[in-house]
Amino acid sequence: MHERRFFRPDEGMQADPARRPLPGRAAIAFLGLMLGLVLMAIQLWLLTLAFDFYLSGDRNKTVLVAVISGLIFLGGLAILWFLDHRPEGRR
Amino acid sequence: MTMIERPDVNVPRKPAPWRALERRWTRDFPYDWPSDDLVNRRQMLRWAVGLSGALFAMTGVLAALGFTTKRTRGTATAIVAADAIPVGGVHYFRYPDNNSDPANHAILLRLDENRYAAYGGKCTHLSCAVWWQQASGKLECPCHNGIFDPNTGDVVAGPPTRPLPSITLENRNGTLYAIQEAIR
Repeated sequence: MHERRFFRPDEGMQADPARRPLPGRAAIAFLGLMLGLVLMAIQLWLLTLAFDFYLSGDRNKTVLVAVISGLIFLGGLAILWFLDHRPEGRR
Repeated sequence: MTMIERPDVNVPRKPAPWRALERRWTRDFPYDWPSDDLVNRRQMLRWAVGLSGALFAMTGVLAALGFTTKRTRGTATAIVAADAIPVGGVHYFRYPDNNSDPANHAILLRLDENRYAAYGGKCTHLSCAVWWQQASGKLECPCHNGIFDPNTGDVVAGPPTRPLPSITLENRNGTLYAIQEAIR
């Protein structure tokens, strides 16, 4: 059972020197997170686009949209793989 | 490896002005920090990639369905005598099945002396019934004011993005037959 504590703005990662990120690292991490969110929003838009193309019977465009969505997914997988296979010291 | 000095790490901080307010909300809404600490950035990234994969899978399913779904439906069915509709008039009928399902609502228009057009009467926006408006000379959907061209079935105005399904007609000895409906 965990000891029950309350969250305070200055505790956790920021309060622990060992866990505090190097200068600029947090900004890069948040940039990556934002890019990921934007790409997922694009994928959601592509899904609506694919639905519209499917209903209008445009097979080629539906496939094209699916391929673009797949490339975004593969990009995410590649980033995940890259992060999991980085040298220990650079995590 | 170069160590970066952090002179600010051990400097005692002044109590922030929001402390009093914070004590109150932590009492009202207790927040289990160790449980929250279990979700790290990498796990969040894994979830995001998983969601991305799900979105791709759904798009892929739509692409696959595009190759399996039939775009035409219906068989040759007698509708009405060609002369029974006046020029500029309309005849509502049911197609491809002659039952009361709203999906079978269809419209036959006599555009001029020898020209007829028929469309599926289900609006391509949200499936409301489309009607012929004599005054405007257009096919209109009353739900969201979608307007379609009676000559082609294309969208003229309003929220629909796709044209009405077209029904192929054939005049057999003075009787109009619906041959098949094509989804566009």
